[in-house]
Order: sequence, then C-alpha cells, then structure tokens
Amino acid sequence: MRYLNPLFRLLTLCGALAAVGLLPRGVSAELTATANHDRITIGFFYHGSSVSVRGSADSGCDLIIKIASPDGSQTLKKKGKQAGFLWMNVGSLHLEEAPHLYALHSTGDLGAIVNKGEREKYVLGYDALARQVKMSPVADDAEKERWFGEFVRFQEHSGLYAASIGKILVRNENGKKNYYILTQWPYQAQPGVYTVTVYAVKGGRVVETAETKVSVEQVGLVKRLAGMAKDHGGVYGLLSILAALGAGFGVGMVFRKGGGAH
Amino acid sequence: MYLYLPVALTSINILIPVGLGLAVGLLSGLFGVGGGFLMTPLLIMFGIPSTVAAATDSNQIVAASTSGTYAHWKVGNVDFKMGLYLLAGGFVGGLIGVQGIKVLNAMGNADFVIKMTYVLMLGIVGSYMFVESLQSMRKKRTDTAEPGEESGLARFLRALPLQTRFEKSGVTHSVLVPLFFGGFVGILAAVMGVGGGFLMVPVMVYILRMPMHVVVGTSLFQILFNCIEVTFLQAYTNHNVDFILAVLLLIGSTFGAQIGAIFGRKLKGEQLKIILACIVLAVTVRIIFELTMTPPLLLGRSGGH
Repeated sequence: MRYLNPLFRLLTLCGALAAVGLLPRGVSAELTATANHDRITIGFFYHGSSVSVRGSADSGCDLIIKIASPDGSQTLKKKGKQAGFLWMNVGSLHLEEAPHLYALHSTGDLGAIVNKGEREKYVLGYDALARQVKMSPVADDAEKERWFGEFVRFQEHSGLYAASIGKILVRNENGKKNYYILTQWPYQAQPGVYTVTVYAVKGGRVVETAETKVSVEQVGLVKRLAGMAKDHGGVYGLLSILAALGAGFGVGMVFRKGGGAH
Repeated sequence: MYLYLPVALTSINILIPVGLGLAVGLLSGLFGVGGGFLMTPLLIMFGIPSTVAAATDSNQIVAASTSGTYAHWKVGNVDFKMGLYLLAGGFVGGLIGVQGIKVLNAMGNADFVIKMTYVLMLGIVGSYMFVESLQSMRKKRTDTAEPGEESGLARFLRALPLQTRFEKSGVTHSVLVPLFFGGFVGILAAVMGVGGGFLMVPVMVYILRMPMHVVVGTSLFQILFNCIEVTFLQAYTNHNVDFILAVLLLIGSTFGAQIGAIFGRKLKGEQLKIILACIVLAVTVRIIFELTMTPPLLLGRSGGH
C-alpha cells in the first residue's frame, strides 16, 4: 500500500503546484521518503506544526535524515566583557553559507556510521557544518570554533537547530527497513522551502539518498499584513497609528460613560 | 490561545501581551511614563526580536497615552501650553540625539556609552526622587507650610527673558525653560533609544515645579506625540512595527491607563513619586544584574540594545 502513495502523488504532481519531489536517486531505488505535508501554512493561529517523514530503505542500512533550509547569510551581535566585568554587545558576527534551519536525526552515532569524508561531502552534523560556514571577523580557527559553538547554541535555543540519535523509528519487514520520524516544526522557522533529505549509509559511506520538500508560506491576513509592512511602510504606519488613537479614544469614552454613572 | 505575529515572525500566547499591556498601561496612567523601559525588555524576554519589540511598543504607547491623556484631560490635569513647548524642545533634541548616536557609532564603543548613560540616568533619577519624596512626606507630617528657600537654579530661571504664565500648572517660567529641558530630555531619550518619560516627569516636578497630577497628564500628552512620530518612522523606514502584537498590547494598555488614572486621583503626589522612584530603581538594579552576570547566550539578533 505504501508504494501506491508515492505513485499517486507523482501523478497528481504533474498538474498541481505542490512541491513534492520524490526522486529516489540511488541506482537500486530502494530508498523512499515522504513527508506528511509538503506545505505548511502560516495563518493567524499558527504555532508551529509537526512534520513526519516515512519511507523504506534497504534493511542493512543506517539512516540519517536532514531537514534544512537553503544556506544563507546572517549577522548577529556578539556579547562580550567590557571594562573587565560588564557584559554588552561588542560587535557583530557575520556568517555565510549557514542554513537558517538545520535538523539532523540519525539511527546511530554519526561518527560511527559514516566516515568523515562523507560527512563533509553531504554536510552531516555540526562538525561538517562548521567547516562549511564562513564567519567573519574571527582571528583563528580556535575562535571560529568557539563562535560556531555559540551560534549552534543560539539556533538551538530558537528551535531552529537540532540533532538527535534514535528518534527515527525503524521496523524490518519483508527484507525492507521501514522508517518513520515525527518532528516538531518550529514556529520560528521563516517562510521558505525546506529540503528533507534521507541518507542511507552502509559501511561508512552514503549509498543512497532520497529527498522531499516542505514549503512554509504565510497565508491570509498574516501574509497581507507582512506584505503591507514591507511594501507600503508609510500606509501601514499611518494605519497602525490611527488604530492606536482610535482604541485609546474608544476606551476613554467607555470609561467616561462608566465613570459618569456613579 | 496562540496568535502568529506577521512582522516579528513568531507565535505568542495572547495572554502574555494583553497582561503586559495591562500592567504597563496601569503604570502609564498612574505616573505619566510610557513604560518602554519595562515593556521592551519584557517583550524581548518572550521571544520578540529587539527591533520589533521597541518599534511595536511605541505603537502601543500611542494607544495607552491617548487613553491616559483623555482620562487626565477630563479632570483638567493636562497643561497643553507647557506640553507643546516641551514637545517643540524635544523634537529638536531628538534630531540632535540621532546625530549624537552616529558620532558615537563612528567612535566605536557606542553600546558602552549608551548603556552607562542609561544606568546612570535611571540610578540618579530614581535615587533623587526616592529621597526627595521621602523627605517631603516626613515634612508634611511636621509642618505644612515650608518657607521656600530659593535655589540658585530657581533664581537663574526667573531672571530669563520671555516669562509667561502657565495657568494649568500654576507656574511662571520663561518659554526658554521648557524648550531647553524638553530638548535635553529629547537628546538623552534619542541616544538611549527610550521615550524618556522617566526623565521628563522629574524635570517637570523638580525644575518646572509643576504639581504632580498635572505632570502626569502633561507628560502623557507629550509622549503621545513623540510615539506617533516614532511609530511612523519605524514603520516607514525599518518595517519593524507588528500590528497584531500592537493590538494585543493595546487591548491591555488602554484599559490599564484608565484604571491607572483613576487610582492616581486617590493617591497623593508624594506617594506617586515614591512609587515611581522605586520602580525606576528596580529597573536600574535589574539592568546592573544583566550587565554583570554572564548571559546564557553570547549571540543575539542585530538591532535594538
């Protein structure tokens, strides 16, 4: 039954705008991956979502699932000590080729199941990510490592970076390995298209990959307000002010009536 | 219940902003401060990016101060004439202050200077108000009429040209006085990135010698205009005002301001001053803690303090 689902989706994909890519790229095409949604909509009452990924793989493989945004740049403020004991912002840190969201789940310890070269090639794990990310200003590698660690802590704090071992549920059936993972989708993740990549690893090497996309977009009032704030700042500002003035007067009037009564 | 904030790009439990609005609105109606020095750090604590927190707070203050000004105006506690002179001074001061920040940034170390100015100002204003109102409360009990010993500052202020009578406040000053002190507060407020209510209130009480109840109403009137200007500029140039967050905050703060104004009428001027002094001192202590304790995260989003 599970094999029908991707086929059905492929057929509907032809005409639809849904961005599901079901492209088992391995030669043997053993590995499959499907996300429960391909589109997360951010509406008025949005408070994050959950995304599950399921599929099957060759039974002898370990699995790594990476959910990531495209690489981008960001500038953060660094805190440091001044005058010996006062903590405050001491400058900024610019990062490049750093994904805004990066979650990595695996069936075993990364270092044990996949070798270093492959980890770096596919950017698997924080160590591999640290090599990819460019940072400035940093004086030397030690400083870079220290600030990368701080960066990961900062991102994990917002729920945007995560790493886990053993969260993937696996069941061997008919010589196949069926897997399933349920992850919380952080509400802090910005609108955009995210890629879920499943890596099947064997003997320290990635033998197959499969990917699917999850798009996150704003809809309805949220989208309209965000768009207006960005594109028509003046009108948006005036409306915000008028609404505030109206609310202030309105409540004032209510209280005057209430106050006159006693 | 959670709502998504389209500009802050985060989700928040609606009880948080409504509750914060109510609490800060109450202070606003009571003391004539905008409450940005409390609201902005609290919003940041609840996950709102600092730039959005500051900009949205100014939008919310427009509502709270409209509500508060209206409540105080009904009982004749707004000195519009004084308010307008202070505003004019504050406007010019704000322009100078913004240039001042540019100079500080060019010199480097801007953050250090700003933070230190802020802590010192809060500390000095809070301590002075505390001691002074405590003394006047004690004096009230012993003798009612105190013969006014005129300070050097008061004599100097009276010698200035363009003396005019401010009916509502019952004081006579040169128009230069509110213009100058409005400008002074405007410069500091712009540099520190705050509304400056906590500075303006003591200036009106101690330098302009206005009665506390008129001070509260007039300060709110003045804050209203400042925050309209700031909200517009933030929305227009930085796109940082979150309308949904502002609405949630103002639901609480407009009611809070009315309740504050009603409570304020029941309290004496000295009582109001001493409570405000305690709040300002508490904020000072909090900032000192924040500055000296190792922060949990050494990186933060850009913008804001």
